[in-house]
Amino acid sequence: MNSLVLLILIIAGGALLSYFGHKINKILGNITVFAVALIIPIYWFTQVDFTETVSFTVSGFHMELGYNMYGRLFSMIVMILSPLALIYAIGYMKDQKKLATFYFSFLFSILGMTGILMSRDFVSLFIFWEIMTWSSYLLVIFLGKDVQKTGIKYMVFSAIGAYAMLMAIVIIYKNTGSMMLSDYFGSFAGFTLQTKLLTGILLLLGFAVKSAVMPFHVWAPGAYSNTPMAYTSVFSGALSKMGIYGLGFVVVNLFAQANLEIVGYVLAWLGAITAVLATFSAVFQHDAKKLLAYSSIAQLGYIVTGIGIGTELSIMAGLYLAVLHAAFKGVLFMVVGAVERQAGTTDMNVVSGLVRKMPFTFFTALIAIIALAGIPPLGGFVGKWMLYESLINNGNFLMVIMIFLSSTAAFLYCFKFLFGLFLGQQELEFDHVKEASPIMIIPMLLLSVFLLVTGAYPGIVFKYIAEGMTNLGFHNVNWQMSVLTNAWGDSVNVQHVYLSVVVVFVAFLIFITWRGYKHATKISTKDISSSGEMIKPEDNMTYAMDFYKPFERVLSPILKYKINKYYEDFGKGLEALFDFMRRIYTGNGQTYAVYVIVFLAILLIFSKSIFGY
Amino acid sequence: MEGIGYKILGAVLTTILAFVVGMFYGGFSRKITARIQNRVGPPVWQNFLDVLKLLFKKTSVRYGFMHHIAPLWMISMSITTLMFVPVLNDGLFFTNLNFSGDIIFLLYIMVMGSLGMALGAGSTGNPNSAIGVSRGLTQMVGFEIPWVMALVALMIQYKTTSVTGLMEVQSQSGTWLMFSSPFAFIAALLAMPGMFRYSPFDIVGAPSELASGPISEFGGKYLSTMMTSGSIFAFVKLTLYVDIFMGGASNLIVLVLKTFTLYMYPVLWGTVSARFRTEQSVRYFWGWPTFFGFIALIYAAF
Repeated sequence: MNSLVLLILIIAGGALLSYFGHKINKILGNITVFAVALIIPIYWFTQVDFTETVSFTVSGFHMELGYNMYGRLFSMIVMILSPLALIYAIGYMKDQKKLATFYFSFLFSILGMTGILMSRDFVSLFIFWEIMTWSSYLLVIFLGKDVQKTGIKYMVFSAIGAYAMLMAIVIIYKNTGSMMLSDYFGSFAGFTLQTKLLTGILLLLGFAVKSAVMPFHVWAPGAYSNTPMAYTSVFSGALSKMGIYGLGFVVVNLFAQANLEIVGYVLAWLGAITAVLATFSAVFQHDAKKLLAYSSIAQLGYIVTGIGIGTELSIMAGLYLAVLHAAFKGVLFMVVGAVERQAGTTDMNVVSGLVRKMPFTFFTALIAIIALAGIPPLGGFVGKWMLYESLINNGNFLMVIMIFLSSTAAFLYCFKFLFGLFLGQQELEFDHVKEASPIMIIPMLLLSVFLLVTGAYPGIVFKYIAEGMTNLGFHNVNWQMSVLTNAWGDSVNVQHVYLSVVVVFVAFLIFITWRGYKHATKISTKDISSSGEMIKPEDNMTYAMDFYKPFERVLSPILKYKINKYYEDFGKGLEALFDFMRRIYTGNGQTYAVYVIVFLAILLIFSKSIFGY
Repeated sequence: MEGIGYKILGAVLTTILAFVVGMFYGGFSRKITARIQNRVGPPVWQNFLDVLKLLFKKTSVRYGFMHHIAPLWMISMSITTLMFVPVLNDGLFFTNLNFSGDIIFLLYIMVMGSLGMALGAGSTGNPNSAIGVSRGLTQMVGFEIPWVMALVALMIQYKTTSVTGLMEVQSQSGTWLMFSSPFAFIAALLAMPGMFRYSPFDIVGAPSELASGPISEFGGKYLSTMMTSGSIFAFVKLTLYVDIFMGGASNLIVLVLKTFTLYMYPVLWGTVSARFRTEQSVRYFWGWPTFFGFIALIYAAF
């Protein structure tokens, strides 16, 4: 049997099995989910043949499935992150109800993503895209919180994206008579400028919604923070990358080839603006989930900028950041989930000082935050470096400043995240908190190890990126295991950095721990220098409320303008319009009769000018 | 493996040099501040005595993992930065890892030390530390922008992103970059006091207001490690400025002269000014320094 068909059958079967397993009983269901989570990646990594294709014809449309190297790169993100999130979910969702639906939707969204990445025609792309959207929608409203607000927002924006895509597909079919992606790419050069822009931009719109580019990001904060965290790590880590996948081939394969780099450039600017504004929003959140949601939007902004610029180094940076973002945001959402489960809340104004209770969770959060902030010894730095260098090499100096502003401001929320949840004063209220269960810790630790390794050997990711970039038209991409080089020949050897940091760190660790650490007493966080004031255990000394008030004061002139407001105004306008419509459609039969009579009278009076007789 | 031996010896000597010079600068600044305020002031080697005293103190309390590794994090970042910044022009002995890093890398690694310290300070639970950290990070967003603008302007103008590349540009043309790219120099110079945290930008430690802020719960070996790290880092920052804008230095005496001159600027400014509030400080950095940064960028690009 064809290995791709089997892959789809395995995932779909897994979804059904876990559905029925959970319908029968929880333990059976969990065992099924665990088995499925192991089988899918093992099958994908060992059995799937990336050269195979499947094609079939449904009601006149030729459909074809088959991997290319670019799709495989994104599939790797899905195939590594989603099973880990599934395993994490077993621990995280232990006390929830409706688990059957949860795992069913979860696995179906994996199916959707897998399908998108191997579609070679627009019909299957659209079908799988909708499968992904709908299953993720079910998970957004799964907890039943704010369904009115976040669920509808997500749905409306997804629908806008989907219809834009559908329109593009129809126009393409009209022009080429074929649904194949390759035919569209092939005949793109022959289109008129209007068709080029229309189809391309409609497709971009569809993809941009999923990757939460400004101004289509409005759905993201609510949707990311309302979904069960086990799924949010996939939602933000892998599902949003489907948008990036699409943006990549539209911007690079179509517009750049047709000398329309301007579209990519505009997109890059949107990405940079998204990064800055989302970072500023993230700084002022006090819910850790919302903070991470905004930070996801900002990080996707970097990726979009990288893809939009369209040079070899910048695309590499974008794709590398996409992989890394999946890893560290995967970990961070899992961390928040663990805190939520163990401490009952993720409000950083309330919870504090969990580091002593949840050391492993803190450790993984620390690693992920270091990678997110782009601190040199870990993997995140590599992506940031490549992005900056590609922008500087291109002379996009304003964009560099924007991105730099965004990532410097990112330190603020990075620190706030760690400080708010784990550091600060240890309060009596959270004395009962225990470390999360191993089944939740192990996926986080595995992803953290990946982040640690990529710091010294980013080449393990570059290898797949370079292969993927052949499909974007970049052959012989220059990469080395641990030396990064820009277009001007300047380079950074990350292995040297790693070595230097580790050597100094270990040397001073020995120095500072040797003779002294054992004799020192570990004291509580209430035992601080407080100028003679006696702090009682129940006194709350945490400084967390309005943590960045001074920064807020600095930014107060900009913060007034929120894009959400414009959408709300637009919504209000629509409401007024519909209100007016309701006055016309009263529901009273006699009124309608009057309308008909008036209409006929008008026809009679103007019959001469309308019909000509 | 003669090469490796030399490398390690060079690295250790560079570190010691940075430590000694940085410590003496700290001592001088205390002395000068005291004389301006009409006091006698401590001797210039007072900082050495402080560090030595702290080194031999017993560590009696600890707050856990993050508190323990914060000073280590700081010092490993300081020394790593030092390894990547060229100390002398010809660089026969102090080469270290100069050719393995560039300016973007330095920009990133330079802010990391303070993040480590911030985490350590946060884990002690002292509210003063947390306030200090909040202020410090906010101020950092302020001064990084003009500083980065200046550096990006230079990088675009001279088509190189490495410090050694910029030094080569200066040695070939014979003029320092502070004269050939004056606007970038002005922006960088105006942004510089933020990095050194003397008044009016001493909002992080804020003596008599925050009880020395982030470091308030660190004592003994922890504090001595932090002081060591601080003095090394001061040397690194000054050397970087000298390398980029003032043509580097061909020998140690020239280096000390140049860095000391540069160092006096934030110190003397500090002695005659009162402390900013956090938002005032950020607004200062986003005002004239950023304006000059923009001019530098335009000057570089066109």
